[in-house]
Amino acid sequence: MTIEKLSIIGIGEVPTRIMPERSRWDIIYDVCIEAVRDSGLDKNDIEGVISVAPQAQNQLSAEISFGKIPEELGLKGCRDVCICNAGGASTSNCLRLAEQWITSGVAKTVLIPHVTVHSTIPMDDLINFFALAGMDMQWEYPFGTTYNGVIAMGTRRYMYESKVTPEEMAAVVVSLRKWASLDPNSMFYQKPAPTVEAVLSSPLVSDPLHRREGNILADGGSAMVVTSSELAPQITKTPVYKLGEGAVYWGASPVLRDTKENKIQAKEAAKAAFDQAGITKEDIDIWNIYLAYPVGHPQIMEWLEVCEKGQAGKMFLEGHTWPGGKLPWSPIGDAVGRGHTGSGVSTATYVETARQLMGKAGERQVENAKYVFQNTSGGSGMNFIATIWGRELS
Amino acid sequence: MNQTYQKPIPEMQPWSKEYWKGTKQHKLLIQTCNECGAKIFYPRKFCPECWSKDLGWIEAKGTARVYSFTITRDMVEPKFMPDLPYVLAMVDLDEGIRMMTRIVECDHDKIRIGMDVEVVFEDISDDCALPMFRPIRSSQD
Repeated sequence: MTIEKLSIIGIGEVPTRIMPERSRWDIIYDVCIEAVRDSGLDKNDIEGVISVAPQAQNQLSAEISFGKIPEELGLKGCRDVCICNAGGASTSNCLRLAEQWITSGVAKTVLIPHVTVHSTIPMDDLINFFALAGMDMQWEYPFGTTYNGVIAMGTRRYMYESKVTPEEMAAVVVSLRKWASLDPNSMFYQKPAPTVEAVLSSPLVSDPLHRREGNILADGGSAMVVTSSELAPQITKTPVYKLGEGAVYWGASPVLRDTKENKIQAKEAAKAAFDQAGITKEDIDIWNIYLAYPVGHPQIMEWLEVCEKGQAGKMFLEGHTWPGGKLPWSPIGDAVGRGHTGSGVSTATYVETARQLMGKAGERQVENAKYVFQNTSGGSGMNFIATIWGRELS
Repeated sequence: MNQTYQKPIPEMQPWSKEYWKGTKQHKLLIQTCNECGAKIFYPRKFCPECWSKDLGWIEAKGTARVYSFTITRDMVEPKFMPDLPYVLAMVDLDEGIRMMTRIVECDHDKIRIGMDVEVVFEDISDDCALPMFRPIRSSQD
């Protein structure tokens, strides 16, 4: 018996920008319709809608949870609707649930949309949300922890252990922004990437993290249409297949996470994904890494042995990860280069994985891309999900 | 006690009240499992190692080493702004547990990973004090 695999057959996206003039539903309409049209299906062929939970947007979250999208869009063939929340790992779970719906016969085709509009959330709500998300209310938050602070501590420890230099850390931002400047969906499209010196001369927010090493909250949305590997080639000429997956849970509270253990577990998760896909890391054409801050990029590169030990910083500094380099890395520029859309950065990262494998990535297209490695993570780094995608069933 | 304390107070659970009671007496307690011997941080209702309910407390020596730290300079909630710049840190206690804290009473430029620190308590309410850490004098020189 062949094991059924998931296939992405359509993608849609609105550019990430600060656009308070666009309502959330305005964006939902556009990304969903674009994704369905891209797949070649009729709207009434969509049998399920599994949405990425929008963070810090309670009303929208309630509307989507309780079934508004299929009704709003007139998806007459829809059989069920649901929302998944695992922070930045939400999209991974939407895809997994879609797999289950497809293999169990609940739905043959599923629409997976995301939208976030940060710019109209009252500042107090926004600050509160990000102050509390992924921190412990008893053991961390009373000391004044922030996302920046927690990442800064992790960055300092990583630099201490690995001897990665501030210049090499800044070069991660340069690399991400090189891709972003070629990406019409990035808020930094056509804007020149900053130099290492410009990154390091931006103000320190939380040492050793500079302002340009952080994320800008932005608005955006994207969507995918998925189906089974059996049906995909009958619907589209450019199906993209999920070939393997592995995952590990690291823990909710940053203070309790142990990087030495995390490293071993990340390797195991990636190995599970590669084993399932039946390929090796040498086969990967694009490392589509989602982490939302610079530090994880060299860290993951070393953990997964994509480069030689101690060489990760140099890979970014010497431009190997840039567009045209030998190791294409995060071609939407991750959250740092894209603008941070809450849980939507990982949705956009999956959309880019599909876009590259469909051969639709324009100036960022990695020539003849056959296999993509993509990771996601939720909260302040509670888990590590590794997936392998390909344009052919392996 | 500071009546005008505006910053967040730890949200206690029934099984962590003993820990916070200890902080009021300026004692740093570590929850322990009487069945498997685990030292537990943060305090739980059941031992996270063996699910025993037979849990107790020991008093920590109060000395630790800095695992990592950051000087927080900007982009914090308004209630933390008067504290800027402040030093967030993770410290490793001699007893082998790691906790989030702040490094206080020192020149920020002299803080280093691995620096020896000792606990000092900041009373914030009738129910608890926050365990902060300051460099042990010999280690700062």
